[in-house]
Amino acid sequence: MRVTAVRGVTPDLVGPVWRTLPWRALAAAGILGLLVAATPLVTGGEPAPWQTLLLLRGIALIGALGLAFLLDDPARHLTAPLPTPRPVRQALRVALVTPIAALWWAAVLLLTPSASRPPVGEVTLEAVAVGVLALAAAALAVRLTDEARPGPFVAAVLLLTAVLAPLLAPEGWALFAQADDPRWPAAHDRWAVLAVGAAVAGALCGPEPLGRGARRIRGAGAPV
Amino acid sequence: MSAVLVEESAPVQAPLRDRGVRAVLALARFEARRLLLSIPVLIAFAAYVAWIVWRTRTSWDGSPALQDADRATQSMPMLVGLAVLLYANYAVVRSERHGTEPHFSILVLQPWRRTAAHALSVVPAALLAAVCVVGQFTWEALKPGAIGHGSPAELAVGPLTVLVFGVLGVLLGRLARRWAFAAPLLVVVLLFAFVLGTAPGDANGRSWLAPVVSETGPDTLPSDLLGRPAAWHALYLAGVALCIALLAVVVAGGRSAAVRTGLALGLAAAVTGGVLQAGGATPSPELTAARERASARPELTCAEHGGSTYCAFPEWVPRTDAWAEVADRVQSLAGGPAHDRPLLVRQRIDARYGPSADTSIPASTEPHRVTVGTAWGGNRVPEFSSAVAAVLVAGTEAAGSEICDGRMVTVMWLSLSWQDDPMAALRRVRLDDSVTGSAIVLSPTDPLSMTEGQTDVVRHLLEKPPAGVGARVKAHWAELTAPGVTTARAAELLGVAKPGKADSCE
Repeated sequence: MRVTAVRGVTPDLVGPVWRTLPWRALAAAGILGLLVAATPLVTGGEPAPWQTLLLLRGIALIGALGLAFLLDDPARHLTAPLPTPRPVRQALRVALVTPIAALWWAAVLLLTPSASRPPVGEVTLEAVAVGVLALAAAALAVRLTDEARPGPFVAAVLLLTAVLAPLLAPEGWALFAQADDPRWPAAHDRWAVLAVGAAVAGALCGPEPLGRGARRIRGAGAPV
Repeated sequence: MSAVLVEESAPVQAPLRDRGVRAVLALARFEARRLLLSIPVLIAFAAYVAWIVWRTRTSWDGSPALQDADRATQSMPMLVGLAVLLYANYAVVRSERHGTEPHFSILVLQPWRRTAAHALSVVPAALLAAVCVVGQFTWEALKPGAIGHGSPAELAVGPLTVLVFGVLGVLLGRLARRWAFAAPLLVVVLLFAFVLGTAPGDANGRSWLAPVVSETGPDTLPSDLLGRPAAWHALYLAGVALCIALLAVVVAGGRSAAVRTGLALGLAAAVTGGVLQAGGATPSPELTAARERASARPELTCAEHGGSTYCAFPEWVPRTDAWAEVADRVQSLAGGPAHDRPLLVRQRIDARYGPSADTSIPASTEPHRVTVGTAWGGNRVPEFSSAVAAVLVAGTEAAGSEICDGRMVTVMWLSLSWQDDPMAALRRVRLDDSVTGSAIVLSPTDPLSMTEGQTDVVRHLLEKPPAGVGARVKAHWAELTAPGVTTARAAELLGVAKPGKADSCE
């Protein structure tokens, strides 16, 4: 019953959801990422493998910062009583952006110098993990606060994590290993676990809290 | 009905101006409090203080040169600055986000005054960073082994960076009011450009436009040979900060004479500092001449300690006591004429390639002369004592670096046996941190080398009580230090097992 309702409503939703995506944030992050990726090409520099890896990780972070704004919905207080539940709308947002993000990442990979490019599959896994982490953080912010646009908070948290994680993460995890490190494959198993864990957490944060459990933290910026 | 007489407008104008300033300050105070208590800034400061404590406890092995310690305070405030940028930007766009902008427009405080208050709210964060920087530097300066001079201009760079980044966040907030994503993206760009991309090496005029130019090399130079336009750079940063802050005010509609004058002043300071620091980045002929003189014929200050002479650059004179202590300990173990021979310990540097160059100093060929570098503490102590021991045994540093026979056993025993933990010192003084097999032994000039057999004998010697071995060393000094003595013979004379392998002197 509910499934058919979801199926029936989704096509009508696509247009409005497509229009309300935070295009400016996504476009700014996308363009900036492409610009950074093209830097070695433009300046004619031949970066070392570790520099290219750092560049790609940085670009993945830029993309994730764009995605941190994806679940911002200025109309969330109006859309709460819609028959289409929030997880479906959020999933639709993600589904609409995924092909664009994939194309963008492919372009980024093609722009980086092939001579020093790290293994594509593993770096893509890292990028996916960071992106999913950003989305999960956004979903968590939407779930826990009344904030309509938690994007800046999520971006700040993501940035802080990105700066502190390489400093504070246990050395044994080797999440930020170099490609010639023997721990590289094991590190990417951990990245995969991280991505899946973040995806599950994000999905769990989807449903609108209703009834008795509807307790929310009033965000600092909640409408007065 | 009686008419009501309404008197208006007379008392409005004059008090309003005054209230404007006070209101700006009140808003700045409020925003500064929120900024300092915001989560990103709190975390950044906590991480910064933790880093200071963690690093300064062991930095420079307890013997810092303050002309290096001042530069070491510069890079971490950038991360604090990025957090301040993030929150300052958020504070500026807050009213836009919450739709309270129209409410503010009916207040006496015009938008440009509010922007000025936001720019001022960054100042306490910069001051707090300055406190941290001063704390870190003072800690270094209070260490007993500290020498040299710090530069206030170098110390100012960290807080000024926080200021620049903070007002940059305010300007960005004014320019892109609806674009909350602009600040995080700018932070990533700044991270790339300045934090991760600060590669040491060629420091030309253009690289000095970055907030922090850290030319760090393995060797310390006397402070007058550094050749860093630190004062101009501080002026440049201050000018840039003023410029960006007032630009934000102008963008918000401030057009008063004070704002224009300030903007012109800031621009003038930034351009003056930028041009003059670019000129100072390439060494002047006088500086080049001074560096060459210091490398070839340095003017050293000499001090006598117990018969030997210790010559150092003026800033290092307080350290001659520490050198003398090590040299005396080594010499007291030596026998024969070496026991009382006056040594000349001279400090040598190679300053010709600037502060970030990795240079090596050739061994001295003058008899009874020992070279000491600019760093001290930690591994530098056994390295220096090895050089002293090699000179006592072989006569000159150059001859000492060519020892491959049994004399090496005596050299290493003299160098290490008096130390608190000889085996640890042996490990540290060897390039590969081993206590078995052959290895290179570091010294202030050319390295020494130990064969596998010599290492075994030295290890056995260090495991025995030093007094007994010391008596044997003194008794057989002439034979132990004769060129060509085999390691097996030295082991026999000193009363330990012969090595499994013979010397290899090819």
